[in-house]
Amino acid sequence: MARIIGGIGTSHVPTIGVAYDKGRQEDPVWAPLFEGYKPVARWLAEKQPDVLLFFYNDHATTLFFDLYPTFALGVGARFPVADEGAGLRGLPDIRGDVDFQAHIGEALVNEEFDLAFFQNKPIDHGIASPLPLLWPHEPDWPGTVVPIAINVLQYPLPTARRCYRLGQAVRRAVESYPEDLSVVVVGTGGLSHQIHGERTGFNNTEWDLEFLELLRDDPERLTRLSHADYVRLGGAESVEQIMWLAMRGALGPQLDEVHRNYYLMTTTAMTVVTYEERVAGDLAAPMREQEVA
Amino acid sequence: MFTQNPQTLGMPEGTYVFDLRTCNRRLAFNRFFWNMIRPEAREAFWQDEEAAMASAGLDDEEKALVRARDWLGIVQSGVNFFVLEKWARVVRKTNLEVYAIMRGESLEEFMQTRAVPHAR
Repeated sequence: MARIIGGIGTSHVPTIGVAYDKGRQEDPVWAPLFEGYKPVARWLAEKQPDVLLFFYNDHATTLFFDLYPTFALGVGARFPVADEGAGLRGLPDIRGDVDFQAHIGEALVNEEFDLAFFQNKPIDHGIASPLPLLWPHEPDWPGTVVPIAINVLQYPLPTARRCYRLGQAVRRAVESYPEDLSVVVVGTGGLSHQIHGERTGFNNTEWDLEFLELLRDDPERLTRLSHADYVRLGGAESVEQIMWLAMRGALGPQLDEVHRNYYLMTTTAMTVVTYEERVAGDLAAPMREQEVA
Repeated sequence: MFTQNPQTLGMPEGTYVFDLRTCNRRLAFNRFFWNMIRPEAREAFWQDEEAAMASAGLDDEEKALVRARDWLGIVQSGVNFFVLEKWARVVRKTNLEVYAIMRGESLEEFMQTRAVPHAR
C-alpha cells in the first residue's frame, strides 16, 4: 500500500529559481535561503520517497484564463519546465508515474472532487522554483511528481476549507493504491507577500509565525478564514497559503515540525517547513515539548 | 446585477481582485501578456510593438497603457500580475523594479523599506 511519510511547506518565489540557476547559493544575500533548504534535502535523501505530491498553483503559464480550472491534476511521464518569458532553465523534465497519477485522479473524482486533467503541458515555478532545492536533478530526478494545481489567481478561488478537504481526500487516495510507494506531500506558495497594486510590499511576520503554529496544531481554525482574511493578514498573494492547508489535510492529526527556515529578504517571506507525523506511543515528541516548557 | 462574493468581502485598499468579471472585460489584454511565454511573441513585440498590440486586438486605452509602461495602470485596468510579469522579462524589468514603480517609488527608495536593502 502507498503511504504518506511526511509533508513539506515551501515558498515558490520565481527568483529562487533565478538565483539557483545563476549559482548564487553562497552569495551572502541568498545563503540564508539556500542553507535553509539543505536540511530538507538531507531529510528527503534519508527518507527516499518515491513520490512528491505537490499542491501548487500555475501562474497562468500552463493554463490561460480562457479555461482556468479550480483543481487540475497533471498526468504524464514527463513535464517540461516552462518558459515563463525569460527562456528555458536547463532543468531535466519533471518525471511522473502515470498509473499513480491516474489512480489519484480516479479516487478523487469518485470522492466528488471533480478535477480537471492536463497532459503534455509544461509546469512553471509553482513546482520548479523549489524542486531543485529539495531533490537533486543530475543526471535525473530521483522520483516522480504528482502535480495538483489549485486556482489561486482568478476569483472565485476554492475556499480554505475545500483545500483542506482535498488534502484529506488525497490521503485516502494514496492509501488506496496497492503498490508500496512512499509519498511526501508538498504545499507551495506564501508566506506573507503582496506583489500588485499600491499595497505591494506588504508583509506580516507576526501573522506568518501564527499561521505556522495554527497549521501544525489547529488547522481547522485556518479553514474558517475567508480569502479576504488571508489577503488582509498576509497580503494579496499570500492567499496561496490555502495550498499549505491542502498539504496539511493530507497529514495526520498530530505533527512534529522537524525543520523550519524563515527568510524575509525583500518582498516574500520565503519559508520552508518539514513535518513528520507523530505516531501513537512516540515518547520523543512530548519530551521535546517539555524541554521547551 | 452585481453580487458580492462573500469570500472577497473586506479586501484592503491598494488590492485589485482579479475575478471573472474583470477577466471577461480584459481577456484579450491578459492574453497579450500571457503570449510572452512564446519566443515568437517576444520577437514580434521587439520587432514592432504597435503591430503586436494591433494583432492582439488591444483597444486604444490598453495600447496607451503599454506605450506608457504604466504598470500600476495596467493592473488597475484588470490585468493579473502573473501574466504581467512575463512581459516584464520581455522589456527587461525585474520584479523588484516593477514593485517599486507600482508603489510610486524609485528602486532605491523601495529597497530601503526592505529587510535586506542591498539584495537584488
